[in-house]
Amino acid sequence: MREVKDKRRGIDASKRGGSDVNGIDKKGKGRKVTEKKPPYKAYLLFGLFLILLPTIQKMGLIGSATITVLGTVIFYAIVGIGMNVLLGYSGLISLGTAGFMGMGAYLSAYLTADLNLPFLLSVVVSVCIPLIIGLVIGLISLRLAGYYLAIATLAVAEIFRQVFIEFEVVTNGFSGKNAGYPKLFGVIQFDRQLTFIFMVIVLIGLMIFTYNFIHSRTGRALLTMRGSEAAAQAMGINLFRYKLTAFGIATAYAAIGGVLYVHFIRFAYPSGWNLMLSLQILAVIVIGGMQTIEGPILGSFVVFGVPELILKQLPVIGNVDGLAYVFTGVLIVVVIMFYPNGMIYLGNDMKKLWKKGRKHGKEQLPASE
Amino acid sequence: MEKNNCLQVNDLSIAFGGIKAIDHLSFTVNQGEIYGLIGPNGAGKTTVFNCITQFYKADHGDIRFTNRHGEVVNLNDKVTHQVIYEGLVRSFQNIELIKDMSLIDNLLVGAHIEYKSGILATGFRTKKAKREEEMQREKAVKILEFLKIEDKANAHIGGQPYGVLKKVELGRTLMSDPKLILLDEPAAGLNDLETEDMSNLLKEIRDEYGCTILLVEHDMRLVMDVCDRICAISFGRKLGEGTALEIQQNKDVQEAYLGKGD
Repeated sequence: MREVKDKRRGIDASKRGGSDVNGIDKKGKGRKVTEKKPPYKAYLLFGLFLILLPTIQKMGLIGSATITVLGTVIFYAIVGIGMNVLLGYSGLISLGTAGFMGMGAYLSAYLTADLNLPFLLSVVVSVCIPLIIGLVIGLISLRLAGYYLAIATLAVAEIFRQVFIEFEVVTNGFSGKNAGYPKLFGVIQFDRQLTFIFMVIVLIGLMIFTYNFIHSRTGRALLTMRGSEAAAQAMGINLFRYKLTAFGIATAYAAIGGVLYVHFIRFAYPSGWNLMLSLQILAVIVIGGMQTIEGPILGSFVVFGVPELILKQLPVIGNVDGLAYVFTGVLIVVVIMFYPNGMIYLGNDMKKLWKKGRKHGKEQLPASE
Repeated sequence: MEKNNCLQVNDLSIAFGGIKAIDHLSFTVNQGEIYGLIGPNGAGKTTVFNCITQFYKADHGDIRFTNRHGEVVNLNDKVTHQVIYEGLVRSFQNIELIKDMSLIDNLLVGAHIEYKSGILATGFRTKKAKREEEMQREKAVKILEFLKIEDKANAHIGGQPYGVLKKVELGRTLMSDPKLILLDEPAAGLNDLETEDMSNLLKEIRDEYGCTILLVEHDMRLVMDVCDRICAISFGRKLGEGTALEIQQNKDVQEAYLGKGD
């Protein structure tokens, strides 16, 4: 029997090449294996830019309708980010997004307008109830392998839609439900501009939150589960638990999106929460880019912003009914066929091309260090 | 069960339909040794691995493992993802790494069970979660240095040469501070030089990390070079057990590999 030296746990690095603990300094290049720096600054700058938009509008540089459209883009982007955690990182599909969104919207409208609950409390309740219902559905359907989650959520969303129509006490049925702009702490009454800014803050906060947990144990576990269930299990990842986590996040983000929707648009109508909307959310991710935080934002702008802002202004075809759907459909096909990583990489790839072009140009000059 | 035992497989059997993949197999791996499981194609070696790590549930027999706390547990009572918590981790024959992630992230997946912070703590980046992440990263860097692939830490797995992938799989198993590592063909697809490198790494893991290793391998040079003891199986049955020399001279083993001579 060989004598086992009890030197388990981290072989002493000092013995092996004398490199320092934090990183690798052997080649004198100081190349450290540190974490990639979180892009908080970029996120905050982006948020600042969005916050300035209502002011720019007041100066008359952009139209008032543009702000409404961009507000729409923001809450659908939030729903998209949640959906991306489910589809992009975990590889599961839900078709019930619209149902959970609608539920969040109706609940928040009912709690603030009819029950006069404080806004923040009603937000918490309106997110928690869909989340709990979502988790119960997940508990049942995630035990089955394959696409059962998609089927189950599709059915549930249709049930929700019937409930939205029939449960008139809360939803006001076909007449639609009115809601007001948020009122913070019972004193600060938001107008459209402040509501827009509030939504931007929620968006940026959720972007940072999502970035953080994606670049940690949770995100790695989700990606591993998607890449190889066998490896995930061997590494101690409880598949069921992480599937449920991902689904819970998608549901909660959908509910948050719904709450913002109802307090920004100030109206909810039952037929708006249909399968079409759930599919559009999927389009947001496919077009924007899976497995990115920024992708759903770009995707949301392309799917919900571009048709309103640009296509409708076009001569002749601008008046065609359902032009937005045609546009989205064609884009999905084009992106999947020619740009499967999503449009978020367009900028990056163009930069690369440009650099390559410049390098190429330089090579023609006499070689110099 | 003796104190020295690390893993004791008792009378293990599993059948798929009418085919007995493993037939009343028993063997014992001692603490701190490299134990080789060899056999012709289809002998049931990987099936043994899958039974030990609970990817398959054995029809019969038990698998006694002395876990990281020194308690003896029957692995058959565990669910697949619980096995690693006892201190037993495995690699895969067909590399199961995640292409979308960097080398170091793939290693960090191996440390999954070492983390305490949940989704909220990591989402809000609490101090504790940050410290935990730094600690694991340091450990991952050390292991990458040990494997001599630290210069590729942030490179993506996709497009890396096979030799590097094999090392990353090995590194990932080390991240959980295991007591026993199950390696499924660590040298498959490696050239002579890489195989030699792998042999040395395995010996170093045994001596410096104090891990016990159970490996399945076809490359006889590696097996004969690194294994302290070897068990040869064929059609799910044990042919012989012993040192490299004893196995080479075993009549049954020779027959299984080379056929019967008259």
